[in-house]
Amino acid sequence: MTEFAEVAGFPVALDRAYDPENHLWVSVSEPATVARIGLDALGVETSGTLAQLAFVGVGEAIKRGEAFGSLEAAKFVGPLTSPLSGRVTSTNEAVVADPRLVESDPYGAGWLIELTLSDPSELDGLVRGAEAVPAWFAAEVADYRLKGVLAE
Amino acid sequence: MVDAHLRVADFGRVTPLRSQTLWHALAYGVSHGGPPTLSFMRPSRPYVGVGYHHRLDEADLDDCREAGLPVYRRMVGGGVVYLDEHQQFFQICLPLSAVPKGRAAAMRRLLEPAVVAFRAVGVEAELDDELEITVGEAKVCGHGAAQIEDAVVVVGNLIERFDHAAAVRVLALPEQVRTEVARLMRRYVTATPADAAAFREAAVAAYAEALGLEAVPGGLSPYERECLSELDRRFSSPEWQRGPARSEPACAQIKVRAGVWVVATAHERATAVASVVGGRIDRAWVSDPDLDGDSSQLEDGLRGITLAEVPAVLGEYGEPGRRLTAAFAKARPVG
Repeated sequence: MTEFAEVAGFPVALDRAYDPENHLWVSVSEPATVARIGLDALGVETSGTLAQLAFVGVGEAIKRGEAFGSLEAAKFVGPLTSPLSGRVTSTNEAVVADPRLVESDPYGAGWLIELTLSDPSELDGLVRGAEAVPAWFAAEVADYRLKGVLAE
Repeated sequence: MVDAHLRVADFGRVTPLRSQTLWHALAYGVSHGGPPTLSFMRPSRPYVGVGYHHRLDEADLDDCREAGLPVYRRMVGGGVVYLDEHQQFFQICLPLSAVPKGRAAAMRRLLEPAVVAFRAVGVEAELDDELEITVGEAKVCGHGAAQIEDAVVVVGNLIERFDHAAAVRVLALPEQVRTEVARLMRRYVTATPADAAAFREAAVAAYAEALGLEAVPGGLSPYERECLSELDRRFSSPEWQRGPARSEPACAQIKVRAGVWVVATAHERATAVASVVGGRIDRAWVSDPDLDGDSSQLEDGLRGITLAEVPAVLGEYGEPGRRLTAAFAKARPVG
């Protein structure tokens, strides 16, 4: 059962790590070989209502910082940037068919892709931990509100 | 402020292909350290543009071929659009770091100067809550946006004259749907015949002011010329034209402007076509063999309700109602 914290009005799952650059969550199986990736609640909020999603093909190798897919909201197309390097083992076709899943259940059924990691040490660059994650997330929300990205 | 200068590149009249590849090349250039750039161009003849995520077969390719219309996929969002020489294109491109992180905030920031430019040439335009540039209820500017590497580009147009018939003809749709799209397009998309040179001048002033930059005329850098050659090849290739793999959609949905849609859907033996305006069904046509040809009462019942209310209305119509409810459940007009 996933444990959540509510941080500045947003749900944040505490059982996973977060990519602070792109507001993606990363859930890693033990041993650390396969990672499931999705958008966190702030990533969903700042994307707007999702209209389209597309992913690279299963079997494709991607490097950290490369796009593993693309997202369209309000006629704005942008890349989904991978926080980790690896080979794509699965893509969530349910969210391609209905991107509303990402908004309604970002930490569960709204996951995006799974990767077999080629460099597990990259996980060290993610934010994790029951104290660090809420603190980081709260600071992000405060920054976004200060900059007018989010309404007060 | 991200740079002291706003490069202003006016390419004038260009081929349909270049009316896409030029500004994509500028985006790659800005991503690689080029200055913020405002660009202008106008296609020399009609063609069809397909939004990045949309299926190529949403365009009526046979009609396009017969009419001699090239079809090019762009990297920005939106659907299948008809473009021609009566549209003055503009694009604003900034480094990603200079753009608000939220998509809505970014779009608003980069479209507001365009509204100032419209108003400067006598068009009483507004940027509405759905991020459409409108006069009254009609959209007057077709816009889209993309992050291309480390640059963000927002594109739009001043529509001096709009060929509604041609715009509808290039859509691959059954006749009934096409007719309804045409009706809504005539109401919700309109031209604003303003002086294009004055609009360009006003846009330069508005974007320079909003971004705190000094406008300086410029052209393509050597890197951007290389990108342009590559983009000319890429955008002409069948692979690019096909776009990302997309499965057959559950139903056809045509966006006329934000909040104005036509959906055509089916389930088992039931079919439905509906226009949805502001989240409510404006008109609907349904069919099901068990309705015995009498669908008018049901269609009247659908008028004015939201898609979420459809099951309650159709619940009293037995099996046809069940099938039509399942058909409407496939519709998902977003934005």
